[in-house]
Amino acid sequence: MRDKLDIDATSRTPAVVFDFVNNHLKISGESYPEDVTEFYRPVFNALDEYLGVLGQGNCRFDFELIYLNSSSAKAVMMLMDKLEAAAAGGATVDVYWLYDKEDDTMQELGEEFGEDLEAAKFHLEKMAG
Amino acid sequence: MPSNDLFGAEEQTLAAAQELIESGRFADLADGKHYKALVKDYQKLLRATRRLMRLSDRNEEQLNALTKEQRHANELIAQKNKELDALATKLSKYLSPQIYHSIFTGAQNVEITSSRKKLTIFFSDVVNFTETTDKMESEDLTNLLNRYLTEMTNIALEHGATIDKYIGDAIMVFFGDPESRGLKEDARACVRMAVAMLKRLRELHTEWLELGAEQPFHLRMGINTGYVTVGNFGSNDRMDYTIIGSCVNATARLEFHAETDGILIGHETYALVKDEVNTEEQKPIKVKGFAEPLRCYKVLGLYDDLVNEGSVIREEQDGFRLLVDLKKRDRAEAIEALEAVVARLKG
Repeated sequence: MRDKLDIDATSRTPAVVFDFVNNHLKISGESYPEDVTEFYRPVFNALDEYLGVLGQGNCRFDFELIYLNSSSAKAVMMLMDKLEAAAAGGATVDVYWLYDKEDDTMQELGEEFGEDLEAAKFHLEKMAG
Repeated sequence: MPSNDLFGAEEQTLAAAQELIESGRFADLADGKHYKALVKDYQKLLRATRRLMRLSDRNEEQLNALTKEQRHANELIAQKNKELDALATKLSKYLSPQIYHSIFTGAQNVEITSSRKKLTIFFSDVVNFTETTDKMESEDLTNLLNRYLTEMTNIALEHGATIDKYIGDAIMVFFGDPESRGLKEDARACVRMAVAMLKRLRELHTEWLELGAEQPFHLRMGINTGYVTVGNFGSNDRMDYTIIGSCVNATARLEFHAETDGILIGHETYALVKDEVNTEEQKPIKVKGFAEPLRCYKVLGLYDDLVNEGSVIREEQDGFRLLVDLKKRDRAEAIEALEAVVARLKG
C-alpha cells in the first residue's frame, strides 16, 4: 500500500492529503470539479485500498471544505459511507467536519452528514482562526 | 466492493434487485408484483436524483460565473470611480470649494441661471506688481505669484470666502453665497480675512526678498456690501460662476483708492462691521454709475487686536459701551472726559 496520496488544490478542486502512515486523511478547500467522478475516483480508490487493510486500527478523516457543489456533496457522502463501513467493521474512525465560523450552510451540511454516521465518531468543529 | 462512480452503489443495489425479480424466487405473486413496483419507483427516484444533481451543478456553475462577472464588474466600477474621483479632484482646483461642493452634491445645477443677492465683495491687488517683479526670471515669478496666491487663498477659505477669480495678481472673492452666515457675519468675516491677509503678507516679505524681488509686495484691498447678480454666466459649453453689478465695480474702485497695505471699505460694510472694526472715514470717491460719491472708510484694525496691543481701551456691557482710541485722543483729555461722565453718573 502506498504511504501517501497528495493532490494539490486548484481553484475548483480541494487539496487531498491522505497520510496513511499516520492514519490522518484530509480534504480541504473548494470542490466543484468539471468532472466530479474523474476527480474523486483516485480518492475513492486510495481510501478503499487503505480501509481494506486498516482492520481494527484507528483513522482520522478531516473534511475542511469551504464550498462544494451538489455532485461533490454526493462524493462526500460516499466517502462517509466508506468510513462508516470501516467503523462498522471494527476500525476506530473519527470523522471531523470543520466549518468556517461565518458559514451556517456548511455547519448545517456537516450536521446532516453526521446524522448518517453511527459506528464512526463524528466531530463538528469550527475551523481554527 | 461497490463501484466508485457517483451512483455506483445505487446501480449495484438496483442490479441486485433486478436479478432477484428475474430469478422468479417470489413465492407470492402479489409480493413479487409489489417488489417490482418498488424497484421501478427506486429507478425513477434515482433518475430524478441524477437529473436534479446535474441541474443543480449547472445552476451553481452559472451562479459562480455570474458572481465572478459581478466581482469583475464591481472592480471595474471601483476603478472607474477612482479615475472619476481623481478627475474631479483635478477639476475642483479650478473651482471655489463651495461651488464645487454645491455642484457635486447636486445642490446647484450647472446651467445658465442667476439670482439677486446681497453679498460682501472683496478685491485685492499687488501695488506695482509689474515694476516689482520686472527683473525676475519667469520661473521665479511663477513661484512667487503662486506662493502668494496660495497663501491668500488659504486665508480666504479659512474665513469662508467664495473664490470668484484670480486676475493675474489680483484676487476677487465674495461672502454670502452659496453659503451665508448672515449679512453682518459675512461682512465681518470679510474684513477679518483682509486683516489676516495683510498680517501674513508682512511675514512673507522676507521670503520674497530672498527669492529675488527687489522690493517686498504691497497690497491694496477694497471691500463693499450690496446687491449683485450671482450665478452662472457664459455659454452652455463654458460658464463661470461669478457676480456682476454696480456694487462689484464700486468694490474695484474702493480697492484702487485704498492706501498701500490698506483696506478701504464702503459705507454699507462699515455699518455692518463698525462694532468690531476701528475705521476712519475718508474723502468720498466718485464711481461711474453712482450719482453720489461713495462714502468710504479706512480700516485701522480689529478692536480685539487693538485692545491686545494697548492702543484702544474698550468696555462693553448691556447698556454701557466705552471706546477710547489712544491713537486719536490724548490720555489726559480722555481721563478728563471720563471723569466728567463719572461725575454725572454720581449725580
